[in-house]
Amino acid sequence: ACDQNRAMAAAAAARSSMGLTLRLSRVIPDCRSCPLYRFKGCLDNTAGSQRRGSFDNLRTINRHLQTSICLYQAEEGSSNAEDPDDVVNVVYIDRSGKRIPVKAKVGDNILYLAHKHGIDLEGACEASLACSTCHVYVNSAHFDKLPEPEEREDDMLDMAPMLQENSRLGCQIILTPDLDGIELTLPKVTRNFYVDGHVPKPH
Amino acid sequence: MLSPGKSVSSRLLRPALWLPFRLCPERTAVSLMQKELIKKRELEKDELRPLYMDFQATTPMDPRVLDAMLPYQVNYYGNPHSRTHAYGWESETAMETARKQVASLIGADPREIIFTSGATESNNMAIKGVARFYQAKKRHVITTQTEHKCVLDSCRILEAEGFNVTYLPVQKNGLLDLKLLEATIRPETSLVSVMTINNEIGVKQPVKEIGQICRSKGVFLHTDAAQAVGKIPISVSDWKVDLMSISGHKIYGPKGVGALYVRRRPRVRLEPLQNGGGQERGLRSGTVPTPLAVGLGAACSVAQEEMEYDHQRVSMLANRLVQKIMTEIPDVVMNGDPEQRYPGCINLSFAYVEGESLLMALKDVALSSGSACTSASLEPSYVLRAIGADEDLAHSSIRFGIGRFTTEEEVDYTAEKCIQQVHRLREMSPLWEMVQEGIDLKSIKWTQH
Repeated sequence: ACDQNRAMAAAAAARSSMGLTLRLSRVIPDCRSCPLYRFKGCLDNTAGSQRRGSFDNLRTINRHLQTSICLYQAEEGSSNAEDPDDVVNVVYIDRSGKRIPVKAKVGDNILYLAHKHGIDLEGACEASLACSTCHVYVNSAHFDKLPEPEEREDDMLDMAPMLQENSRLGCQIILTPDLDGIELTLPKVTRNFYVDGHVPKPH
Repeated sequence: MLSPGKSVSSRLLRPALWLPFRLCPERTAVSLMQKELIKKRELEKDELRPLYMDFQATTPMDPRVLDAMLPYQVNYYGNPHSRTHAYGWESETAMETARKQVASLIGADPREIIFTSGATESNNMAIKGVARFYQAKKRHVITTQTEHKCVLDSCRILEAEGFNVTYLPVQKNGLLDLKLLEATIRPETSLVSVMTINNEIGVKQPVKEIGQICRSKGVFLHTDAAQAVGKIPISVSDWKVDLMSISGHKIYGPKGVGALYVRRRPRVRLEPLQNGGGQERGLRSGTVPTPLAVGLGAACSVAQEEMEYDHQRVSMLANRLVQKIMTEIPDVVMNGDPEQRYPGCINLSFAYVEGESLLMALKDVALSSGSACTSASLEPSYVLRAIGADEDLAHSSIRFGIGRFTTEEEVDYTAEKCIQQVHRLREMSPLWEMVQEGIDLKSIKWTQH
């Protein structure tokens, strides 16, 4: 306990000596390792609220500071990619034909990326290769860059209605740098087609 | 309506008895009467039914197949897609067993078999499905001129949709010219469809070589094997076939069921003809008829056991028939290649005799000229025209079909009757007289009255 106090005192001293810039900036906690976050027990852990709220005002004032400090690690699937090498531009074309450009990171899963941005790509089996509801059409320029589907994915794709040559399951597409600019069109219906316009919420 | 005071059973029975009459008294009453008359006549005169020599049109169900089907009609009647109770589970087990039996007959994986309502539906699914799925980049389909009507009609519909279809001619012996096929395949060809054994002339196409060509060019091969399955050994992996149509009622199975083999590696995609809940891999939605599927499976497994013996027996009987007829009667032509054929389908043209009149003369043998699906039209068979048969010979052709249940006596009787009737009809034929006198018929100028 004594050591801890001494460390805190030292930190406080260091902080006060660094001047105004650090006092205005804040260390944003790395939530990835915290068990409360992982098991959704943390209040900050609702979709999207992680980095909004009070940080936003700070961001607008100290934008140049935030970018240079980089004290937090982005968690997987975050849309706040900061490192330009990691950014993958993805365009979703939803059922009404609207183009929704999205900035994603390398390693993102197409299905969860869509959920994060409120695009109604239904993933009934939560990416366990047991349904065909996350069926998307990939634009021809990027279709060949995707790895060959495994047999289980092909089996599930067979069941998808309105299949085309450029069809893939969204939950199996993991973004890589050479997929930058990929365009994913949602098909008009899924196997769970709802003729009354109902849109199921993501799990 | 229901008379009061009568017992419960009679109250229940009576509506069933009088209801049809009430619905349509005249028609029902007359047809019932006619049926009674026919039955009486048959019993009185002890009339026998004709000998069945038309095994390419359809086949009787093997009793072993019927035995396999019956429990699923009245006892295990669940829907195989019901996931929640034992009725569904037992039907699903039966359906999957049948699938395995069909698959093992053609050397496929059970997951590659789709149950359909028959080879016609399978052909439609294969041709229209493949062509429409790949139509963005590939709009050319190749088939032959001797295919079954359902294949040719599907191709015609595709032409109306804007596809290019090439109908390849066949050689005089009925076989496809492989060089011509190779030259016809273009980069935008998506499908080649060639039937394994022709239903009219019995010719066996070189499907293995055709498969080699198609695989090397990246084109899917579909073969209508309705007449071939269960009769000759088939291996879809050896032959490099991507789609294969199977018919139940050609292999001593039930009518109304068939199957389509759709290759999984490399995957063949189809646009489904029948949409719905995604049964049968999404390619053919709809409840699979368990008793019929079980029947098809049983027929396939029986065929696998009996194939060698049946082939030997049918070859022996066919040789017997052909030898008898061709040694006794001159000027008989066998249509189709003599070596590359299935022995059980024999198409003979009797010169100077009209086919229909010979059929009617042989009224106690069930035969056909042309194929069953075109027997109503007056045109001679397009298959015979495709192999270059003369118009006159095409009109005088008869198809003899020999199968698992044909006996030697039936074959002998048919041969003798045929010889007898051909002699008789030729006596009456003016063309025959002229030929006997030495006149060359081709040199005659026929005038109109």
